[in-house]
Formats: sequence, structure tokens, C-alpha cells
Amino acid sequence: MLKHLFTLIWNKKKQHALLILEMIVSFLVLFAVFTLIVYYYTNYRRPMGFRYDNVLSVSYSSQPGSGSNRDSIYNVFQTLRRSVKSMPEVIEMSYVSSNSPFSMNTSNNGVSYKGVSEMTNYYTTDDHFPEVMEVKMVEGRWFNANDALGKEQPLVINDVLKEKFFPNESAVGKTLEFGDGMHRITGVVQTLKDKGDYAPLKPGTYKRVRDSSFMGRVLVSYNPAADAGFESRLFITFSGVLKNYTIEIERLAEKRVIMNNTTLVPMIALLVVGGFLIVNVALGIFGVLWYNVSRRRAEIGLRRAMGATGGGIAGQIVSETLVLSTFALIIGIFFAAQFPLLNLFDMPSGVYIAAILLSVLFIYVLVIICAFYPGRQAAQIYPAVALHED
Amino acid sequence: MLKNYFKIAIAVLKRRKFFTFISLFGISFSLTIIMVLTAFSDHLVDSSYPDAHRSRNLYISMMRLTGEKHGFSQNGPPSFYFLDHYVKKMKTPEKVAITSFHQPTNTYINNKKLTIDQKFTDDTFWEVLDFEFLEGKPYTRQQIDNAERVAVISENVRRKYFGDEPSVTGRYIETDNIRYRVSGVVKSVPITQFATYGDMYLPHTLGKRDPQDKGLNGDYFAILQGKDASSLPAMAAEYDDIIRRLPIDTSRYDKISSRADKYVASYTRLFIGNQDDSGLNRLLLYVGLVLLFFLLLPTLNLVNINTSRIMERSSEIAVRKAFGASSGTLALQFIVENLILTVIGGLIGVVLSFIVLAIWNNSGALEDVYLYLNYKVLIISLLVCLVFGLMSGVYPAWRMSRLHVVTALKTY
Repeated sequence: MLKHLFTLIWNKKKQHALLILEMIVSFLVLFAVFTLIVYYYTNYRRPMGFRYDNVLSVSYSSQPGSGSNRDSIYNVFQTLRRSVKSMPEVIEMSYVSSNSPFSMNTSNNGVSYKGVSEMTNYYTTDDHFPEVMEVKMVEGRWFNANDALGKEQPLVINDVLKEKFFPNESAVGKTLEFGDGMHRITGVVQTLKDKGDYAPLKPGTYKRVRDSSFMGRVLVSYNPAADAGFESRLFITFSGVLKNYTIEIERLAEKRVIMNNTTLVPMIALLVVGGFLIVNVALGIFGVLWYNVSRRRAEIGLRRAMGATGGGIAGQIVSETLVLSTFALIIGIFFAAQFPLLNLFDMPSGVYIAAILLSVLFIYVLVIICAFYPGRQAAQIYPAVALHED
Repeated sequence: MLKNYFKIAIAVLKRRKFFTFISLFGISFSLTIIMVLTAFSDHLVDSSYPDAHRSRNLYISMMRLTGEKHGFSQNGPPSFYFLDHYVKKMKTPEKVAITSFHQPTNTYINNKKLTIDQKFTDDTFWEVLDFEFLEGKPYTRQQIDNAERVAVISENVRRKYFGDEPSVTGRYIETDNIRYRVSGVVKSVPITQFATYGDMYLPHTLGKRDPQDKGLNGDYFAILQGKDASSLPAMAAEYDDIIRRLPIDTSRYDKISSRADKYVASYTRLFIGNQDDSGLNRLLLYVGLVLLFFLLLPTLNLVNINTSRIMERSSEIAVRKAFGASSGTLALQFIVENLILTVIGGLIGVVLSFIVLAIWNNSGALEDVYLYLNYKVLIISLLVCLVFGLMSGVYPAWRMSRLHVVTALKTY
């Protein structure tokens, strides 16, 4: 039966060439769309690893060149910390580097262990970061002032980096070569998905800020019961200590929405365009099949006269179309398979394979739906009428 | 003759309504998507309020210092010092405007946060750009030199900060705990116009920078305005010359690179280009490829549908052939019929685009970004339409012209 169908299609391969080409292109478009959907969805399902509700991000910048005295920076930051903490609504605050959660900034640094090096996201924070962000420690603990007294500077790594360097052992106490020298790991933190819900997990390192260095951003966690005036009072507190600074207060929850939109908006546009293309293709395939049925009335009439049932005819039309799409899919998969094989775009190959499977399934379902009505039309052909016409 | 083709085309369209619907759906939606995208890129690229003379402007927004020996590289906007000392003195441009990139500041009105994006400019900025003043006037050279705290604000800030008051010139606005006197109010600029967008324009002397700092990197950029488009090459050459002659601080870096570019090139160089290649051609290539791939599916679809339809008419074609019509005449007739179909689809597409753009303009998804279909967008869509019609008409017409009269006549 199947062999018969293949012969039928093979004999008309020239006529079907364009239809097959159309299916190949649709498959590739679907493959691209599904790759992105699968990729973003797997990222989305992973936990955030920190809290963003009721956290404010305060950035400030000053005149360059002024305030270069290290002692005065230390004093100013201590005063700022005291004033902010004295506000009743504030729970905790932490000085962070400019690549804080949901900001557009990133900074990268190489870290190596036993000669193997890895690029990591490089964060600088103080001791209060885990309390503000409510991060989860996988093992060990966050660094504190005592750790800074040791020979090696303390370092916290996230569990993605831990899996790369220490897959089956404990990372705490190990030393890594990083930036300006050796660092001792005090703990492993559950990876923070700090570039939005759809961002992939990346290896990261958290370094303890030196007391005398300037940090341009502060994260403040506050009581959810705080009233509407809290933000402006916080602003006044900041501008009271940091005179002549430009200060900007943002809510982490709002920054998260903006960050997510940078992924979601292009994705929605892609889905709209892709959806339109698929509807277009579906209508086209439907039209061509319908026309083919009306052209093959004589043949179908003959088949009926020889004893084929109506269901058999409908089945034949549908299976013919499935065989046709299989031709297209084999060629399409050949192209799509190059992505995981050549490791293009640096995505896990599982994403590509899932995307290929989903696209194949989608094409088959689409084709069956498109072939169903023409198949039924063919089943209703009366042999006597059809044969009489010829 | 053409009238006949038209009549036949309409008759064919009416015959199989479902096929007509598929064809028109494909054409009109593809065109709508292309037209909306063209309108958006037109908004980004083309001269628009207040940057009305982009064809005779050059933009300097990047300066790169590299030292291969030290593995040092610094890439960022140039400093005010550099622009003021070297670029301002250039001879070929008519006017040079210097302005900072916009920077957010916060202010609180009744405990509600208002973010005001500040932009520091010199006085030429107001001459190079055609701002529409709703009230008041820009600050003068004198006021800038005296570092007076005066500000030109946008219509949006006037509404959000002062409410519905008709006139606010001379009143005070406070942000970052500093009070500025409002000198004028301009029509708001959308954020998509990076060179000119701001909520509050201030004299550059109020900018937070160290007057002693003579570094080359900062956060300012310059707009060079020539007499007309033909003076741009001379301006770019003079700027290249300035960069070549800049004193190099060899202890840190050994190469300075910066270019004066046209508007679009100044962005493409930033994102996909480098110092020698502006990346503009590459961007056009990418856009072209994506567009081609996007159009491939609807075209293939249309070819398939057309082939089916034309074969349905094999008896008509056979009769005409039998009576002496040449293959060429028939192919031409079919292509013309197909063009009529695509043009009808195109007209529906124009109507759909109007609806989509009206929805966009009313939604306010991006503040002050209004999209329109201008003659340029329409001409591009018409071209796309013609290419569409030709591409999808030629193959079926060729198939049809090869039809054998005898076999075709025998089928019926």
C-alpha cells in the first residue's frame, strides 16, 4: 500500500516539486519558531533564585574626579547605610555593582581552576546581599568581614559554575584563580536568573567589595506595608547624604517587566508573522489538494467502480499527502539537523531536537487537517457519474 | 486589449471564490506586514521632527582608544572637551551642535515618581535642529556661559509636572533637588530619536563633568551640519584629518579611531560595524535576506494556487491556441491577470495597514511614536506588489504555454 503511494507520488514528482518546496520552507520557519519557544520556555520554568518584590534599586552618579579620597568614600557609604537603615520601612540594604538584577549591564571575567578556564558573570556585592535578595545557598555560606582578613579573598560562586568545576564534590574551601589572584570559595548560591524570566542560567561569581571602593548602586528591601510616600522619603535620605549626585530610584519588579518585554515583544511579533505564514500555507495546501481531487475524478471513479470504499478513498488522499509531506520533512530535517550537529548559535542540542520533533508533528497535523475535507469530497464521488464524464 | 484582460481577470476571480480568497489573503497580509515594518523603519531612519535635515548632517558619537601593547581598549562617546576644542573649530560644517546623551533623574510630585531625562546642550543645538516651541524660547549663549539654571522642557513634562496650566515660562521646576527656571516648552520628541530625545534640555555648563578633565572619552556627541548634502564628504574628510593629528598619549594607547557618519551609519557602526566598515551594507544585506525569505512562502503558495487555477482553464487555453493565439500572448495575458490580482490584494493591504497603524497610533504603545504611510512607503509596497505578481505569475504562465492543444482539448 505504502509502496503504491510512493510510486504514485514519485511519478508526479515534477508536479509536486513546488508543493514540496513550500512544505520544506514552512518546516524551516516552524523549526525556527519552535526552537525559540522551547528555549525560552525551558528558561522560564527554572526558578528565579531571588526575590524582586519590594526591592528598590537606587543608582547614583557624581561629578567625575571629585571625591577620589578613599577614606571619605568609606565614611560617606557608612553614613548612607546608617541613614537608610534607620528608616522604619527599610529591612536591609546592600551595595552592588552596576550589573545588578534586571539591569542592561553585564561584566564578564575569566576564572580558572586547575588550568581549565571559564567565562563568568562577575558581580561585586557586600555582605548583606543575601538578606536583601533572599538568595538560597546550595552549600556553604555568604562571605563576611572575617573572610576578608584571610590570605585569599573570599568568593561565592553559583551552582552552574560549581557543576562545571566541581561536578561531584563540595566546592567550599577550594581556591580559584580569578582576576587579581587566588580566591577561596565560601559558598555556592542557587543561580540567580537576574536577566529576566526568559534568560538562560549562566556561570557567575560574587566578589566581596573592598571597603574603600566606590559602588554606584544600592539595593534596598522594604516592608510591603510601606506607604506611598516611602519612595520620596528614601530619595530625600539619599540626596541628603549624597549631595550633588544624580539619583535614580527604580523598582526591581518594574525593571523585571521591562527586561522580560525585551524578550517577549520580538517573540510575539515573530509568532504573529509565523502564524500568518502558517495560515497562508495551510490555505494554499488545502486549495491545491482540493483542486487535485477534482482533476482526478476519473481515476477516483474508476477506483470506486473496482470496489474501493469511500473511506478507503478518503484514506488514500490523506495518506498520499502524508507521504508527500514526509518527502519534504526528510529534506527539511537534513537542514535543521545541521544546527545541533555544528553547534550553531550555542544552544543546547536538546532544544533543537525538541523543536524538530514539534515541527514534524505540527506539519503532519496541519497536513491531515488540510487533506481531510478534499478526502471527504473524493469519497463522495459516484463512480457512474465520474466515469460517464470521461 | 487591457480592458479585455481586466474583464477576464475579474470573471476568473468570481468563479472560484475560495481560491480568490486564499490569494488575496496571502498578498494583502504579506503587504500589510511589510508596509507596517517600512513605516516603522522610515520613522527611525528618515528625517523627522526635530531632526529635519538629516541629509546634510553628520554625527560623531563614538571614539575608540586602543593600545595593543597594553591590551587596552576603551570605546565610548567623545568628551565635551574634545568636541569643543577640535570639532567646534572645523571649517567645512556650517554649524556644529554639541549635546549629551540623555540621562534619567527623579523627582517626586505628591509622592508620585516622575522620571525626567535630562540632556545637556550648547546654543547651536537649537539652530541645527528645528524644535517647535509651544511657548518661550531656547536659552542663549550668554545664559550658558553664566551657567544659569534655565531649562527647556518637553510638552510631556509640562503636562506631568505642571498639569493643565497654559503657560509655565518663567516658573520653576525641581528635579534632583535642583531648581531650574523654565525658559521654553517644546513639542515632545519620541525616545526612538536618540540624538534629540529628552524631557529637559539644559545648558552644558550645568552638566556633571570635571572642567579640568582633558580626556577624550565622555558622554557627549556632535551633529555637524553642512550647507547641503554635497558638503558631507569634505566634512568627513576634515574630521578624519583631525583624528589623525590628535596628540596620542602613548603611555596608555597607541591608536585613536572615530568617524563622522551619516545618521544610520552612526548606529550601524556601533552595533554591527567597525572602524573601517560602517556596517550599513551588511545591515541592508541582512534585511534583504530576511525579507526575501519572508516573501518566499507567500510567493510559493501563490505559485501553487495559480498553477492549479490555470490548469483548470486548460480547455479555454486550448481553444484559444487552436484558433491561433501564440504562447507568448497567452503567457502575457496570464501575467497581466495575475498582476491585476496582486494589485487588488495590494489595495486591500493598504487599507489593512491604515487600520493597523491607526490602532498603533491610538494605543500609545511607544510615547510620541506616530507611524504614517507616506508616498515612500506606498511606492516600496507597490514595487513589492509588482515583484510578487511577476514572481508568482511567470512559472504558471510558462507551464501553461507548454500545454499541448490536442491533449488539453481531449480532456473535455
